[in-house]
Amino acid sequence: MGKLERMAARMDRAAGLGPTRRGFLLTAAGTSFLFGFARPGQAAQVFPRMADDQPAGGVFEPTIWCSIAPDGWVNVNVIRAEMGQHVGTALARIIADEMEADWDKVRITYVDTDPKWGLMVTGGSWSVWMTWDQFRQAGAAARTVMVEEGAKLLGVAPTACIARNGSVIAGSRSITYGDIVSRAHPDRRFTPEEMAKLPLKPAAEHRLIGREVKALDIPAKTDGTAIYGIDAKLEGMVYARPKLPPTRYGSKVVSVDETEAKKIKGYIRYVVLHDPSGTVPGWVAVLASSYPAAIRATDALKVTWTAGKTANVTEQDIIEHGRKQIADKNGGSRVFNDAGVDKALAGAAKVFEQTYTCSSVLHYQLEPMNALARLHDGLWEVHCGNQWQSLFLPVIAKALEVPESKVVMRSYLLGGGFGRRLNGDYAVPAALISKAIGGKPVKLVFTRSDDAQFDSIRSPSIQTVRAGLTKDGSIDGWEHHASAGWPTRVMAEPFMSKGDDGKAYDQFAIAGADHWYSVGPMLVRALDNDLADDTFRPGWLRSVSSGWTPWAHESFMDEVAHATGKDPVALRLSLLDSKGRNAGSAPDSVGGASRQATVLKRLVEKCGYGKTDLPKDTAIGIATTFGQERGMPTWTAGAARVRVDRRTGVVTCEKIWLVLDAGTIIDPDGATAQTEGGALWGLSMALFEGTEIENGNVRDRNLNTYTPLRIADVPEMEIEFLPSTEKPMGLGEPGVTTIAPAIGNAIFNAVGVRLRHLPIRPADVLKALQAKGGATS
Amino acid sequence: MTKFKLNGRDVVVDVPEDTPLLWALRDDLDQTGTKFGCGVGQCGACTVLVGGRATRSCITPLSSIEGAEVTTIEGLDPQGRHPVQEAWKEIQVPQCGYCQSGQIMQAVSLLKDYPDPTDEQIDGVMGGSLCRCMTYVRIRKAIKKAAAALREETSHG
Amino acid sequence: MKDRLHGNGIGGRVIKRILAGVAAVGALGGLGFLYYAWYPSIAPVPRPAASSFSAAQIERGRIVAAEGYCAECHTRTDMGGGPELAGDYKMDTPFGAIYSSNITPDEKTGIGNWSEAAFHRAMHLGVSREGEHLIPAFPFDHFTKMTDQDISDLYAYIMTRPAVSMAQRPNELPFPLSLRILQAGWKLLYFWPGVYKPDPRHDALWNRGAYLAEGNAHCGACHTPRDFMGAEKRSSDYEGAVVDNWIAPPLNEHNPTPTTWTEDELFQYLRFGVAPLHGPAGGPMSPVPHRFLSTVPEEDVHAIAHYFADLDHASERQGHDKAALALAMEQSKAGLIGPNTDPDAKLYQGACAACHYNAAPTPVLGRPDLALNNALWLDEPTNLYQVILHGLTAEEGQSGIAMPSFYNALSDQDMARIAAYLRRTRTTLPPWTDLEKKAAAVRKTVQHVPVNSSH
Ligand code: FES
Ligand code: FES
Repeated sequence: MGKLERMAARMDRAAGLGPTRRGFLLTAAGTSFLFGFARPGQAAQVFPRMADDQPAGGVFEPTIWCSIAPDGWVNVNVIRAEMGQHVGTALARIIADEMEADWDKVRITYVDTDPKWGLMVTGGSWSVWMTWDQFRQAGAAARTVMVEEGAKLLGVAPTACIARNGSVIAGSRSITYGDIVSRAHPDRRFTPEEMAKLPLKPAAEHRLIGREVKALDIPAKTDGTAIYGIDAKLEGMVYARPKLPPTRYGSKVVSVDETEAKKIKGYIRYVVLHDPSGTVPGWVAVLASSYPAAIRATDALKVTWTAGKTANVTEQDIIEHGRKQIADKNGGSRVFNDAGVDKALAGAAKVFEQTYTCSSVLHYQLEPMNALARLHDGLWEVHCGNQWQSLFLPVIAKALEVPESKVVMRSYLLGGGFGRRLNGDYAVPAALISKAIGGKPVKLVFTRSDDAQFDSIRSPSIQTVRAGLTKDGSIDGWEHHASAGWPTRVMAEPFMSKGDDGKAYDQFAIAGADHWYSVGPMLVRALDNDLADDTFRPGWLRSVSSGWTPWAHESFMDEVAHATGKDPVALRLSLLDSKGRNAGSAPDSVGGASRQATVLKRLVEKCGYGKTDLPKDTAIGIATTFGQERGMPTWTAGAARVRVDRRTGVVTCEKIWLVLDAGTIIDPDGATAQTEGGALWGLSMALFEGTEIENGNVRDRNLNTYTPLRIADVPEMEIEFLPSTEKPMGLGEPGVTTIAPAIGNAIFNAVGVRLRHLPIRPADVLKALQAKGGATS
Repeated sequence: MTKFKLNGRDVVVDVPEDTPLLWALRDDLDQTGTKFGCGVGQCGACTVLVGGRATRSCITPLSSIEGAEVTTIEGLDPQGRHPVQEAWKEIQVPQCGYCQSGQIMQAVSLLKDYPDPTDEQIDGVMGGSLCRCMTYVRIRKAIKKAAAALREETSHG
Repeated sequence: MKDRLHGNGIGGRVIKRILAGVAAVGALGGLGFLYYAWYPSIAPVPRPAASSFSAAQIERGRIVAAEGYCAECHTRTDMGGGPELAGDYKMDTPFGAIYSSNITPDEKTGIGNWSEAAFHRAMHLGVSREGEHLIPAFPFDHFTKMTDQDISDLYAYIMTRPAVSMAQRPNELPFPLSLRILQAGWKLLYFWPGVYKPDPRHDALWNRGAYLAEGNAHCGACHTPRDFMGAEKRSSDYEGAVVDNWIAPPLNEHNPTPTTWTEDELFQYLRFGVAPLHGPAGGPMSPVPHRFLSTVPEEDVHAIAHYFADLDHASERQGHDKAALALAMEQSKAGLIGPNTDPDAKLYQGACAACHYNAAPTPVLGRPDLALNNALWLDEPTNLYQVILHGLTAEEGQSGIAMPSFYNALSDQDMARIAAYLRRTRTTLPPWTDLEKKAAAVRKTVQHVPVNSSH
């Protein structure tokens, strides 16, 4: 069972739900969940869009996941958030393939929260991986019933029938699924045991999976009809903008002066929020009849606060705090704590050690935070795009002081997630503002600078890696210490993992350091940077810690290679020996480290690593990771070719190569798109974007100073997926992981200087070059 | 009170004249295809056409467009089948899609100025349109495809 | 709307500069002066009947009025605007506001009971019907050059406008500036009355242009620097001047743009509000083409363009244009092509480049190229800042298209970064200084925040 599945089960138990609810009971037809509520003025999140989104009566709904209508349309319910991964299309492909549905009659529905869905979370590139078995079984169940009922109608034995493209076929005769539903009214139920025993199609029989497909949500995203959270609108709605306190926590409102705000036409009032959930302490919100009025009135409102204790914290303070934590042998949680690691290092011929740091990073998802809330028919509705409804619905309920059953989250498309909307903190103030005005509908929209200040940033981090080297230069003993803010502790503590030492730790603040190299006994220690946690709310950001832990260990691996006179690729391959815990296990990591070795070898072939005919100050660097998490590895190898300008210190990334083994690829085009996006995120965080904490807040609040990668910055890219029939792994994030260390390694190969801070800034390169005497002016 | 032409129809909005066109479109005229990204004219999510030229609506006051012709993503083509939109679907450009209305409007404007755009010209004009999902590779591809389609159209039309 | 478009009309700017000089006139005096200064009142007449003017004369008068921009300074723009030509246009001065007079033919509050002779005297000598000296904000030092025929035509036009009964607000000038007699002293020093005399060395088109530019169109009122008494410095004709927080650029060969203001460029600019190789008319210049010169005979606009093209020696300088254009097209893409991590280049890329980038061989109309624009080549970043802060409405600059207002979008520091970056990468001139301070100073002059946007 995967980590997320375990989480889901735990969550269900916590909610008092039996395990059977997550099974595949074939339920009687029912349409109550299919948008039985009104969403005035808005299209439901159904793709492709249709004139009439309400299915006709009498649908066959073999599981809560899908239904077949008498007109033959198959509806697939998607509980994942759509934020660009076309997840609905990918998931529907799984069901439709197994069901032998006619793809031209498949639509997807993004559903609102309901306890029956179980855990609603979209992140960690888990969606396909988590749903794979579930949806194949659901599809098989539907197919089984269609074949049985179709055979009856055709007057033949089920064994004489095959299902294909939305029909049951016996010889020259056939009947469509729609006709079967309308004539036979099937309602067969299965026990979970029966479900699990249903025969699944072999990979060779896949007719949709792995084939090119047009994502169902794309047309609506090209003509303005796609509806995002910020587009939600309700009759009688007013607008609100937050007036943010000087510190994320601990600020208290002393006084409010609305004299100037009152002069703004459209200003309604301000609200000092009372938040029993503690999500938005010290907040004031400004209400107005239009959003521009809310913008101006918020600027005009004068609020005096006493600031919390982090008002003067800087990025440097946080890094130095982490440095102290690492220096202290005792703190933190030991993720790997192999016996003999101390001895190995103590007895080493040489201990090689380096420290790496990374700056804060903003999500800057393009749709600023927003949520619309109201009390309607006794139910608190929160309309917004969200990645982890199961996490924040209870928080909203707590803030409102109502039972969870009194809250529903309506689903919308997300204008970018990247992990920001795993944290639903922005939904809480909307609900509280509505409560303050008697449950009337209110739409809270953050301006971009509000959004940035309130962002759950990727925490700055500091990591020290240490290796024991034997006389002949091989590695025996390895330590990796990482200190950063811990998003999971702050927001979802019960979901933390337990280390080898039994202590809880945030797997999303260390994953990646638990690598698949055989380097002798290993200590991997995760340290919660509590100063970071106190200063801001650390967030999960695309590829979470795997976006920065490889910066340390993959840079380090090259440093070790250079220090011991080895070739970095050869060194890595020698360590990816698939021995011991690195052998891998079914179903998620069959083959283990050998698959990582395979992608690395293929990468080297592709990019011509080591070739010497490159122009001056130009070189290729490589790095390899297992994508996201040890428990669901996407074997990844990346290379970057960079050119360094010795005069300015500017590093230009000219080309990126990526080779991945992500198991079965459901949607090749979508997989490429996700990987392209990931790789460019990696590049952006390596060379273009990053911020720092100043006076307890992020320094950069908008694009005037925050400079993520743009179209002109895109290098040439070559991406290859190795063919595989193994279980599909995530693809939203692995593209990110290798880029920064590949660039760092390439810079070293080009001009011989080693950068150990992200992002890599021209000034730092120049400084390093000067120190080495290699700058030209 | 501001009068202008929106997607070919005369409209009048009775909101203060310093209201950004963006919010008038989204909140008063129910055209939510135009998006709010940065609010400071630096991401391009709010791009519409004013007098046929790509314009950042988030910082364009209504007073500025009195009497002008405004085209939003909704009005680009009645069926959503402008050659740029077709190319966008064909190449499957959008990920989250949030930036794409703006990207498409900017691309339409680019192709008017540079019907056969080079990579440099694409960099120059599209550099102001941020895509946080980083769909840039496909944007470039789709622009070239749309350019070819548009040229085809003109040579046959 | 009106307020924004015309609030910075021509009159307000001129008067401010003139009044600074007028203060010094108090020192003059004496009886001889009084004699010089004295004019009789001209008896009022009943308002002439509209039928006493021919349609052709009224039409000629309309053109004269347009070429002199009368409506610009004689129409109220604050308080929701006022009827055309009914005056009460507010001009803020350091000494207090003054208000233009009603020149509709209303007999009580306007000039309906002015005889044609009184009107001629006002235009030629800057004296009212009652014999009072007019404040030289009314540019009679230019109008004096107008022919009698033009003034008669103008009279016909004005007298056939709807009469509006509307009194202007009293001027807020403190004593002694409020004494009209002081204006006479100024005239003594700076005013040379007399109708324009054609220059026989030039052809008719040139002379027509000169006649309009020097006279009725009063170009020098903004584009010629003034001395401490507020008078145009004759030694520096068309050298450019600061006018109400904008720079009216030089109209002679000292205009710094890399490509020449040729006759055609000038014509496009004056007629349509945009010159392909220079950019759009912004700020106070905008009404000149849009409200006025687009409504007059094309020949007259050609004539003005011809005159200034000669004045700036376009034909001698034009040879450099090809190279200058090529260089500008190179500069236009600086920082935008391929990867760039320079934060200032990134700022420019995000905020400006989508509209201002151009590729060789020549800029696209509607993509004003900054490397070719005055704003980057003047000694101060004033106009650049003004345009960034205000933007351009669809009625200004190139018709039908708009530039957003970056008032809330860019901080003073951001504007300074853009200014420095552009000057560095798009011109060959030395850097501007004190950019952030100057950005703040120009921002202070914006009276109404143009757009209620976020940050
Ligand atoms: S929202 Fe207008 S440019 Fe970003
Ligand atoms: S597709 Fe998501 S921001 Fe561009």
